[in-house]
Amino acid sequence: MGTSRWSIEQVESVAPSAAAITAAQPLASSTRWTGLGVNDAALWGSCQGSGSEPYDTMVDHQHVGFTCTCPSRKMPCKHALALLLLWVRDQVVETPSPAHVSTWIDRRSAKRTASSRAAVTGGQAASEQAASEPAGSETVDAGDVIGESEPTPPVPKPDRNTARNDRVERMHAGLTELDRWLDDRIRTGLADPSLARYTTWDDLAARLVDAQAGSLANRIRRLAGLVGASPDWHDDVLAELGLLHLLSQAGRHLGSLPGPLADAVATSVGWQVRQADVLAGVPDTDHWVVAGRSDVREDRIEVRRHWLRGTSSGKWALCLSFAAYQQSLDTSLRVGIGLHADLHRYPGPALRSLVGARHALPVDPVAPPSQTIAEGCNEVGSMLVAEPWLDRLPVTIRARLARSGGVWALADATGSLPVVDAGTRQFGAGLAMLLAVSEGREVDLTVEWTPHGVVPLSIHLPDRTVDIGPRANTSFVSGS
Amino acid sequence: MKSVDEHWQALVTTALLGTDRREPPDAPQMIADLVADTARTSPSERMLAQVAAITAVRRAGVVPGPLLDELAMPDGDDRLPCVLAAVDRWHQITASWPVLEDEWMLTLVTGGWRIAPELLPAMLVRHRSDPVRRTRVMVGAGSTGRWLVGHLPDLAARHPDATVTPEALAELPELPIAPELAQLVDSPGAESGGMLAQSLEDGTLGHPHRAMLINLLARVRADALLDIIDIFGAVDSMSPGYGLATVLADLATTRHRMLDELST
Repeated sequence: MGTSRWSIEQVESVAPSAAAITAAQPLASSTRWTGLGVNDAALWGSCQGSGSEPYDTMVDHQHVGFTCTCPSRKMPCKHALALLLLWVRDQVVETPSPAHVSTWIDRRSAKRTASSRAAVTGGQAASEQAASEPAGSETVDAGDVIGESEPTPPVPKPDRNTARNDRVERMHAGLTELDRWLDDRIRTGLADPSLARYTTWDDLAARLVDAQAGSLANRIRRLAGLVGASPDWHDDVLAELGLLHLLSQAGRHLGSLPGPLADAVATSVGWQVRQADVLAGVPDTDHWVVAGRSDVREDRIEVRRHWLRGTSSGKWALCLSFAAYQQSLDTSLRVGIGLHADLHRYPGPALRSLVGARHALPVDPVAPPSQTIAEGCNEVGSMLVAEPWLDRLPVTIRARLARSGGVWALADATGSLPVVDAGTRQFGAGLAMLLAVSEGREVDLTVEWTPHGVVPLSIHLPDRTVDIGPRANTSFVSGS
Repeated sequence: MKSVDEHWQALVTTALLGTDRREPPDAPQMIADLVADTARTSPSERMLAQVAAITAVRRAGVVPGPLLDELAMPDGDDRLPCVLAAVDRWHQITASWPVLEDEWMLTLVTGGWRIAPELLPAMLVRHRSDPVRRTRVMVGAGSTGRWLVGHLPDLAARHPDATVTPEALAELPELPIAPELAQLVDSPGAESGGMLAQSLEDGTLGHPHRAMLINLLARVRADALLDIIDIFGAVDSMSPGYGLATVLADLATTRHRMLDELST
């Protein structure tokens, strides 16, 4: 049949955004599709999405058109993009087209013919033909050239691409400046008095915000707070400078990174992904246990992290909520409840997710499975291998409190982990709660790993889960 | 050959001085292979690459610390911890009806319950300064309370030498109640509830009397509460006292449930 396959660049150029390609990546697996096929005119298949019925997707790769029964208003939708990605990767075999594909291609062909006549007769006939297109048929034509035998390279939409390119360029410039700044710090040394001045950090953070690298700007502001904060602050600051360098380098070479890693880096640098795009992604459906919660003030925003663990998959997920002064944090995810729900993950191997459809009322679940401290370290290490710049990770372990000198630690027969007590003096949280509830015995608990130790978040008792995570100050946020 | 931690310390030392003054240390072989790059020509660039690589290695290589001895556990306590509903109720009354807290604690102690462990830190912090209430908490907490304070001195009493009489411990504090209302403390619920509801409906009692009425409902006999709840629930919604009656019904309901949860 002599089908001329598209290149990945052609697929990217028809995508409405970079995020759309990201959303399509998880669907670009042949296990998600049935009835896949391609011929010299079209590409088709059925993809199992979040609905009960699979979505029927067709792509006219000759004259560039797309149709899909999914509810997305994006064109092409992620299913069409995923289909194209599968084809690009040679995972779609050539077969004769089914009747509905032939009908669609014939109709498009007739429309083109009519348009062609209309070009001669003033467009009257083409308008009528276009009007006869069935309602709800999500079809778009990107190729204007009629009658060519070779696949038409998709025509990029200049405005959208210009804006995106401009943004990428600004981010790239921001990352270059960050690396130059890091280089200066390393040259002049951490004993340089300018490090103690907040403006040294804040000016850079402001420039990174302008460069669309908001997440890095936040890291810089947090880093400023480490200077002089402990006797070992030089260690902490140097490590963070190293991670910023890592992110900056990776961010400047996104194109050469594997897809999921590139997404993870882009997110960590600050590339914004719209919630709607995330929610349009493939859901991760499971019975989720809300294993722990922690509230942390970051600059002028209170950040609430809910750590969820899938009982079937064993995978972790993170749901974030934010509150400025006198705003409210999310209280819908009570620690200890079980939730049969769809979670939609942000691009890449990210833990960060949004809760989508809930399939049942919350129930009191069994606790997440616990492990030894050594096994917990392995789990955390594996997550850090994938993304070394993460600074908070959840893990459920079975351990008891112990003391090493004046420092509290969690311990078992395999070793110990120091406890970062963010809440000894907090009303009913942190170390005091863990000590009171456990009475020195081993208990199952979910903790948040940080580079400085673990923060106890919840104790899983046989009959209930006790939430002991750091809690936002109610004078700052309401309803926490 | 230097360990990763030793090499890290060498990097920290160099970073303190700055690469303008000191050359970065030679990287260990595994890191040298990782950061070998002809594009990095300056010492600071080579240093940054090393710092990034070593930081990633150190983080991903998180390992458990040394084995530690077990803590001595608190002495045993035969009393059962109060039920979960009572735990939730304590949080509710301290947030909404603190007038009931003394009764909650005394009922718990006289009922033979022990304070549930998850309430202890909050209670110990809350009653650090009041010797009577502090002593009640320590009685209710038993050996776990003493053990906890021993480990966390931040939870210790502000006045540990204050003396408390057994009478003060065993009695509810007196609450100011106007004499004409005080007679209702020991009345049956139908009588006290009926009189109060009528006064609320006709406006004789209103918001200026709110504090007195709250004190009264915190001290009326326990077996009067159900009748009072019913009668307050039937107060005419068009009357001036309807809002206050609703509030007082909530207090009566909370107290009734509190006593029920702590009954033996």
